[in-house]
Amino acid sequence: MAQQRSGSRRAGRSPLVAALVALEQLPGALGTALLALGVLVFGLLVAVACLVGVGLLAAPAAVRGLHAVADRERSRLGRWGPEVVSPGPLPERLRAAAADPATRRELRWLVGHGTGGLLLSAIVVLLPIYAVRDLSFPLWWWAVPPGAASDSLTFWDVREWSDVPLVVGLGLAWTTLSLLVTRPVAALLAGRGRRLLDAADVDLPLRIAQLTATRAAALDAHATELRRIERSLHDGTQNRLVAVTVLLGAARRAVPRDPAAAEEILERAQSAAEDALAELRSVARGILPPVLADRGLAGALSGLAATSAVPCQVAVDVPVRCAASVEATAYFLVAEALTNASRHSGATRVAVDVRSREGRLGVRVTDDGAGGAVEGAGSGLVGIRRRVEAHDGTLQLTSPPGGPTTLTAELPCGS
Amino acid sequence: MRIVIAEDDPLLREGLALLLRAEQLDVVATAGTPDGLLAALDEHLPDVAIVDVRMPPTHTDEGIVAAVEARRRRPELAVLVLSAYVEQSFATELLAGGAARLGYLLKERVGRVEEFLGALHRVAAGGTAIDPEVVAQLFARTRPDSRLDRLSPREREVLALMAEGLGNTAIGERLVVTDGAVHKHIRSIFAKLDLPPDDRADRRVTAVLRYLDDVRRRS
Repeated sequence: MAQQRSGSRRAGRSPLVAALVALEQLPGALGTALLALGVLVFGLLVAVACLVGVGLLAAPAAVRGLHAVADRERSRLGRWGPEVVSPGPLPERLRAAAADPATRRELRWLVGHGTGGLLLSAIVVLLPIYAVRDLSFPLWWWAVPPGAASDSLTFWDVREWSDVPLVVGLGLAWTTLSLLVTRPVAALLAGRGRRLLDAADVDLPLRIAQLTATRAAALDAHATELRRIERSLHDGTQNRLVAVTVLLGAARRAVPRDPAAAEEILERAQSAAEDALAELRSVARGILPPVLADRGLAGALSGLAATSAVPCQVAVDVPVRCAASVEATAYFLVAEALTNASRHSGATRVAVDVRSREGRLGVRVTDDGAGGAVEGAGSGLVGIRRRVEAHDGTLQLTSPPGGPTTLTAELPCGS
Repeated sequence: MRIVIAEDDPLLREGLALLLRAEQLDVVATAGTPDGLLAALDEHLPDVAIVDVRMPPTHTDEGIVAAVEARRRRPELAVLVLSAYVEQSFATELLAGGAARLGYLLKERVGRVEEFLGALHRVAAGGTAIDPEVVAQLFARTRPDSRLDRLSPREREVLALMAEGLGNTAIGERLVVTDGAVHKHIRSIFAKLDLPPDDRADRRVTAVLRYLDDVRRRS
């Protein structure tokens, strides 16, 4: 689609203008090709150093260099056509990078661009320079010292005016060649770059599938959440209140007959009303813990730690507020982890670590208990996982027998 | 009157049993699940079953399904369904087999003991008890230009009470008018709505509810 659009924009231009437009792109291409060659050489040196064992430390730097050059090329291509979508943050560690398809395509691009791409873009940049030099040859050749005046390829040592037309003819040849090859070469380099560097082409369907799935999960989690709230209101709170009215009705009927019985029924009605209030509080708290709104995530988590049965240390480094639903998810996750630690693990200490970095909220809860925790039916973790995944986050539970148990989650901070 | 109660909330189940026993009614069994209800009905053959709509396992309409099944097994069983909220489809499903010996009430009506006992006795005696809320919803959702507009305000009141399942005498007591006046209103209502006149309470309820439901569907 993008190709068609730029194609129709080009239509109607003279070949000269089209070649000039294409020519404009090539110094940039030459620049990234030089950088690509640099990174390529560096990468090869690192690879050789790896063979003797000392290169591993430099490997992430090579991978970073690869990403940086690829990003530069993306923005260059973006200036001359439709935006080239970056695949987002790519892995820097060697093993992860080697397994990452986007990084591997970047590498393929780098090898080609740093060698053939460099050669082609250098030639195409040189052609017009040669053309101008040779076409303007009659204007200046007599001014340079004898023996130094020659055509651009130094075929001929020009000493007579009769030799000059040859050089001008060569200049014309350069011009023609430049007009002919500049556009194809620019298109070739740009096409290859777009094909290998544009995340949209290859990863977009995957990303759409992921987003669709998480969106469905979010809607599902939302529906589940609403159903849970509706049920706890109807089957919990409302039933308590109905019980209150039933008991009050019974008490009123009993007053004339048996005041002592009425007193007893009233007592039961009152405790049913208190139950209803407690239920209501827990339902409201399950929707959004008021403490989160009042004291923020750090305060709310300290509150949780203070009431935890197992001694709990909390470290929170979250300079900005996240979306309320994200904070609530983190809060319930920690609450669930603390409950599990005190109920099942036999832990003596729990550490809660919450920090936000680059728009993501990381939560880690570790206990020194017996381990062997599983995330199965009836576990509150299932609900927590649903909540986390609904926010497009990840949840990991590692709990080898003998411990320690670590629960890690990462959530996008945004709303 | 022998009664079986099906309600999954233990506190409410005991409260209901306590209330009914205090009224010298014979609660022969209580159940917390639809299966428990059907088993208790087969075992005790009671006159009335009081059934909660939402019961395990899914807490949706198990009570309705169980009530319909119970009446299929024993058509002479009176069923009073208690619901946490008014759901038109529940009422329609229940009334599909006729309105006789059938009640559909909001749970909190139980607290108004006199009226609840009245409804219970009415249902046990072959009548009908439909929650005023159900009737009000049917009225509220009808088209503004329907034939209901032809009714006078008093006639609409009488129609609503008829739909709840009240007999002429009870309607007269509620509205503080004579039996004769109620008769006159009802004749006029049936004429204006083109309903066949009938004296039996459950037939009247069926006719009125069908009529209201029809009007609602067309709107």
